[in-house]
Amino acid sequence: MDADAARSQLAAALVRTGTGDRAALRIVYQDSSAKLFGVLLRILKDRSEAEDVLQDVYVTVWRKAALFNPDRASPITWLVAIARNRAIDRLRSGAMNRRSAPIEEAADLRDVTPGALDMVVKAEQQARLGVCLGELEEKTSQAIRSAFLDGVTYEQLAERMSVPLGTMKSWIRRGLLKLRTCLEA
Amino acid sequence: MSDDVDHIAPEDEGRVLAAEYVLGVLSAEERRAVEKRIAEESSFAREIADWEDRLGPMASYVTPVTPPAQTWMRIEASLGTPTSTAAVPPATIWQSLAFWRGLGIGASAIAAACVAALVYVGMRPTTLTPRVPLLATLTGLKTNQPNFVAAISTDGRSLTIVPASLLTADKRSMELWLIPEGGKPASLGLIAAGQPVQLNVPPALLPLVGSGATLAVSLEPLGGSPTGQPTGEVIAHGNLSRL
Repeated sequence: MDADAARSQLAAALVRTGTGDRAALRIVYQDSSAKLFGVLLRILKDRSEAEDVLQDVYVTVWRKAALFNPDRASPITWLVAIARNRAIDRLRSGAMNRRSAPIEEAADLRDVTPGALDMVVKAEQQARLGVCLGELEEKTSQAIRSAFLDGVTYEQLAERMSVPLGTMKSWIRRGLLKLRTCLEA
Repeated sequence: MSDDVDHIAPEDEGRVLAAEYVLGVLSAEERRAVEKRIAEESSFAREIADWEDRLGPMASYVTPVTPPAQTWMRIEASLGTPTSTAAVPPATIWQSLAFWRGLGIGASAIAAACVAALVYVGMRPTTLTPRVPLLATLTGLKTNQPNFVAAISTDGRSLTIVPASLLTADKRSMELWLIPEGGKPASLGLIAAGQPVQLNVPPALLPLVGSGATLAVSLEPLGGSPTGQPTGEVIAHGNLSRL
């Protein structure tokens, strides 16, 4: 199945899930759970927490699928947003006794490159974001990716990268506005 | 955020806040404040959606990891429809192709076995006043062999459909339709070739479920018909009747 077909199948299944169709939810799960589980593991760094949140995510998808609008959102983006929000809320709730991430994990990010064509994310959109992130200063780009992938706060980012909090906020805010300008160009 | 070193232009304030929320750098308290604003201000909600779209592709940096098999079962169990698992026989044997092959008998005998099983499960929920469920044997248009057996629960609210013969794997989705006498097809949902599926009958269709209505299965684009009406080849159909 090519990327377009994969995306259409996922969008159609989400729409049908919104009508209360369980078989459709199963398709959504089959097509997206490995990606979302990867996203949750990366943020939560704990398998059983990630499993709990994954369950919670699909129950939320079941309830909210009627709100998904295929004309306005890409299906995987919509699902990733739900998963990340759940995971970040779990982190912030203090329910998890989370160690701060070791330095090596922050260092790993420098090696992060866009993977092989991701089935459900639009290749051109992915490539564009890569280009625009590449146009930012290296540290800013790294901070933004680290924030997105690890779900960490400004404070944790500042600590990880050994810069004052104000500097980190400034990097990220300016970086995000530049990113937007680049993506809209 | 008194420690700002930046001067964010006032017109960028909402935009930056939305971006910070989507990026995930805010505290729990700040996140609740943003969510309140999302609920109250549609232009702000739009800004959030735009940022989700812009930043979302970063998820492609993450390596997918297959979750454990029981996660899906836990999800299904927590969806909250009371009949979800009760009326379907234990899945393993029904899903096992070896089981069907091992029977080594004609499809009609398999269909008869399905009917027996479905009558049993159809009656279970109403042990005090057993009534006869509506049944349909869906016959293949090309093969003239039973392809599916379907039973509608006595209250008409749920339908179980069991594949009665082996179907070749097809990339398209199979969609089940209810066609009332003289009426237009209405979708009951997607079904699977290799396992029994239970569907809830939408409340709007309840009055249409009865003897004489037809069930049909069509091949549709993945994810189901985009139009709400059958668009592909009908592979099997049959009339509902009471035993």
